[in-house]
Amino acid sequence: MNTDDNELDEISAIARSMHATWSSDSLLPRIQRAIAREERRQPSWHVWQMAAAAVILVALGALGWYAQRRVQEHEFNQAILQRTALDDVERAEQSHVAAIDQLEKLAGPKLEQSQSPLMVSYKEKLMTLDDAIAECQAGIRVNRQNAHLRRQLLSIYSEKQRTLQDVLREESHESR
Amino acid sequence: MIAASAVRFPRVEDHSVSDLDLARRCVDGDPSAFESIYHAHAERMKSIAYHHLGNVADAEDAVQETFLKIHRAASTYTGEAAFSTWLYRILVNTCYDAMRRRRRRPQEAPIDDVVALTRAAANVDDTKRLMLSKLLRELPEQRRTVFVLFEIEGFSHAEIAAIAGISEANSKWILFSTKKQLQEKWKHEH
Repeated sequence: MNTDDNELDEISAIARSMHATWSSDSLLPRIQRAIAREERRQPSWHVWQMAAAAVILVALGALGWYAQRRVQEHEFNQAILQRTALDDVERAEQSHVAAIDQLEKLAGPKLEQSQSPLMVSYKEKLMTLDDAIAECQAGIRVNRQNAHLRRQLLSIYSEKQRTLQDVLREESHESR
Repeated sequence: MIAASAVRFPRVEDHSVSDLDLARRCVDGDPSAFESIYHAHAERMKSIAYHHLGNVADAEDAVQETFLKIHRAASTYTGEAAFSTWLYRILVNTCYDAMRRRRRRPQEAPIDDVVALTRAAANVDDTKRLMLSKLLRELPEQRRTVFVLFEIEGFSHAEIAAIAGISEANSKWILFSTKKQLQEKWKHEH
């Protein structure tokens, strides 16, 4: 065995004799008093844990309720906005239709009186457009939010407006 | 007066009462549960705390604090490790906390036991014990713990691994390098 090993063994031997021991008669009563004091001061940790769990549950419930309310509010607002937008579109359509009706009233007598092939062709075109308008309106009554039908209806009204303008233009040409 | 001795304690696995039952009694604040823990482990706990903190008052405070922590946390004891392993782990962590607090407020470090040990150093063995004690205090926390638990208190590496939260191989390696480190310092001190 070399010197190094001897030194290590000596350290171990000294260490083995170092277990510290002293009399402490008051330590156990002190510990018991501290535990009793803590028991009196605080409800058991179980109670704390249950209270914490209850607080967390209530907080989560409140958060869930708030989130659901916000979602419902948002959906309600969206629905209101959509309805308002639809009302606006329908109002614009009605004034458009009123303007076209006005044109139709002006062009009506001419269409009824004239027997020229051009006027007859305009008349037939207008009847076809009216049929298409009626069909679109029936579709829209089933689903107010069908944007495709609304766009189609608008284009038919525009076509009718152009046709009525052509009729009136022809009338002024003929009267000159 | 502190006396140094080579008393051998039973291994930490030796426990007659079911650990989970003991933990449940601690949760209930059953005084007899704490009394039986005290009688089985307090001597060893005091010595471990003393070798970490260096004086009787702080060592006893650490032991008392450990019992309070056991009382508060016994409901979280799952029985995965032996109750005694869990207890010594709490004690070692309590000692670390006290050492850190002391580092933050160094003026509060008591010196009464240095006097007591100096008075006890009447023969050569005591001088060597004092010197090794002094060298131990210069060691980092974990090295000191492994050395104290293995060499002074007689824990096995498996027990130290469970208490310190390290592997058994790591415990062996830490002990070996700590002893080498102490040997170097020992030579300088001689």
